[in-house]
Amino acid sequence: MSNIAKGVPFWRKEQFTPFILLSPAILTLMFVVLLPLLFSLYTSFTGYRLIRPESLYDWVGFRNYERIFSNKNFWIAFGRTILFLTIALNVEFILGLGIALLINRITWGQRTLRTFMMFPMMFSPILVGYQFKFIFNDNIGILNNALQALGLSDGAIPWLVDKYLAMFSILFAEIWMSTSVFAILLLAGLFAMPRDPLEAAKVDGCNAWQVFRHITLPFIMPFAFIAMTIRSLDVARAYDIVDVMTGGGPAGRTELLWTLIARVGYDNSRMGQANAMAYVSILLSILFTYYFFTKLLAARKYMGGAE
Amino acid sequence: MIRKVLKNLTIATALPLLFVGGVVAEDIDYGKFDDYTLRVKLIGGAQYEPLYAEIEKWEAMTGAKVDVLSRKNHFELDREIKQDIAAGTLDWCVGSNHTSFAPQYGSIYIDLNGVIPEATLAEFQELALKNSTVDGRLVQLPRHSDISNLYYKKSLYADQANKDNFKAKHGYDLTPPETWAQFKDQAIFFADAPTFYGTQYVGKDEAITGRFYELLVAEGGQLFDENWNPTFNSEAGVRAVQWFKDLYDAKAVPAGVLNYLWDDTGLGFASGTVALNLDWAGWASFFNDPENSKVAGDIGLVRAPVGSGGKRSGWSGSHTFSITETCDNKEAAASFISFLTSHERQMVEATKGLLPTRAKVWDDAKAEFAGAGNDFMVNVFETYAVSMTEDAFTPPLITPWIEVSNELWPRLQAAILGEMTPQEALDEAAAETKIIMEDAGYN
Repeated sequence: MSNIAKGVPFWRKEQFTPFILLSPAILTLMFVVLLPLLFSLYTSFTGYRLIRPESLYDWVGFRNYERIFSNKNFWIAFGRTILFLTIALNVEFILGLGIALLINRITWGQRTLRTFMMFPMMFSPILVGYQFKFIFNDNIGILNNALQALGLSDGAIPWLVDKYLAMFSILFAEIWMSTSVFAILLLAGLFAMPRDPLEAAKVDGCNAWQVFRHITLPFIMPFAFIAMTIRSLDVARAYDIVDVMTGGGPAGRTELLWTLIARVGYDNSRMGQANAMAYVSILLSILFTYYFFTKLLAARKYMGGAE
Repeated sequence: MIRKVLKNLTIATALPLLFVGGVVAEDIDYGKFDDYTLRVKLIGGAQYEPLYAEIEKWEAMTGAKVDVLSRKNHFELDREIKQDIAAGTLDWCVGSNHTSFAPQYGSIYIDLNGVIPEATLAEFQELALKNSTVDGRLVQLPRHSDISNLYYKKSLYADQANKDNFKAKHGYDLTPPETWAQFKDQAIFFADAPTFYGTQYVGKDEAITGRFYELLVAEGGQLFDENWNPTFNSEAGVRAVQWFKDLYDAKAVPAGVLNYLWDDTGLGFASGTVALNLDWAGWASFFNDPENSKVAGDIGLVRAPVGSGGKRSGWSGSHTFSITETCDNKEAAASFISFLTSHERQMVEATKGLLPTRAKVWDDAKAEFAGAGNDFMVNVFETYAVSMTEDAFTPPLITPWIEVSNELWPRLQAAILGEMTPQEALDEAAAETKIIMEDAGYN
């Protein structure tokens, strides 16, 4: 055997087989993910401007990072993005959980309802942005008109201008569009849940709240954390809806990281600086993902799953 | 070959002068480019489409095909062109351009001097060509121009009760505003939020920067001194910002105005809920069309008001066409943009209300409106002709104009909303602008 093995080239040896089998995937990932990432990392250390391709070679060291770290507007947008993420994820989780629990209880028309529930996810975020821009328009928007017609308001409420209402309006649109992500995943969790512990708990005299709190919720938390990981990546790069509804304004009141990055990168053509901002934003996403994965593992451990 | 085509073009573009109204496209030789496909990127939007419907005539005459790669608004087109520059994919020939955007693009577009015959260029308005020139190079051929004048709802000014109340309150007669101060008085006087507003303004992006800029000039200020140091944080600048803020605070404009762009202000005036509207000529026929507008037949028009500096506001610019340096068939491209800016094609756009860049089209379009008994459009053309000749000025034709604008407008908004005083907002914008101008090598 060993003689035969000696004659075999190294890449046909057994220990290399997994790498060879995985190589198409690894190469593809390198080309479509790693190379662009390295390239944009490099540009973040240059004075690269879109309209002057030769500036790609202007090495400026950490100047882009120094500029953004001392830029008040960047940090405000950074903080606002974290706040936006936190509120959106929590509200989507609570609403998604409520919807999943309700749908789980009905016996007739459940499939149809599940399909209906996914409708908002099927729209492009740009369309959702336009839809809510129209609804929240202070002058011709249907919300203000409805409020005035019902006698609930006698003025034009500036939904997309006011400091708090503007963020509320954008959050509303974001939550409307994506709550079903949570609902679908949590519903899948509820379907997969074994009946025995529930029945045992009832036999032991637990009330509905105790069953929910100590059995149902821990069981579906891993699903919730998966949904949170996916959505945190989504929300952290929120751009389309915000750009359409307010463009990050007025006066930067709804400026999130990506509306700022797009303006710096494209309108101002400062792609080097925009990429530096994007790298800080990626760190934020990594932190959130790491946090949710830690929670996911802990939740699965609690359920006796992964060690 | 080039000389022959250009010679033909000279004759072709001169011909319409002799046959006003009677020229058919087939009489003009735009050259032959059989089986060639011209790749173009054009600005899109309802008011620009009638011209594009003419493209098939050029295709039929020349045997070439036009492949429209994109048709977006200027801000999106600008992003796309910047991406093309960065990626080295300028593999198209003709692009829509604008006098405000052109200085950013460096040398990607050819100098049209010597490519478009002098005789043809002589038919364009001198000012439009001057504004299309960057660093001595004619990088674009002007398609139509923009400048704003003041539309108003006539019936409000004819109403006796309005006249009496206004005179009692302000001590002067209620007539369409001649100054920016009167504009403010009257807008606040007519406003009855949330059902009726005195006026409205575009509240974000380069749009509000432009409005601020023209008011700054009218108030006697300037954006920069001769060494490109920002000077807009002057007293004139503060007065200009205060004008926007006073109207906002008095609820004379809709509360959401800071999210408004051109469509919002145009449609707002057409909805009949706004008294005064400073806007482009391109809206004129829309405003007076009963199918689209509730103010049709009730519209007056006066020149844009005068500021306290004694100057009339007149922020202006031109939509244009450019040819890329990388174009593989510059003759075809030159033929195409000559066709799109020819007398007949400008007549197509002028009859919709867009302001032509050829001197002769002004007269011919006006004559056509007069012939059709359309007194409103005759008045529109007369008013805009005066403002184009006497009041028009462009923003500084500098590379970082959009970048400077992006520092200004969020701070203008902050001042209007009361988050900063006008002086603080302008000081902060001036400090940022100084850095941008230094980075760009201006001082």
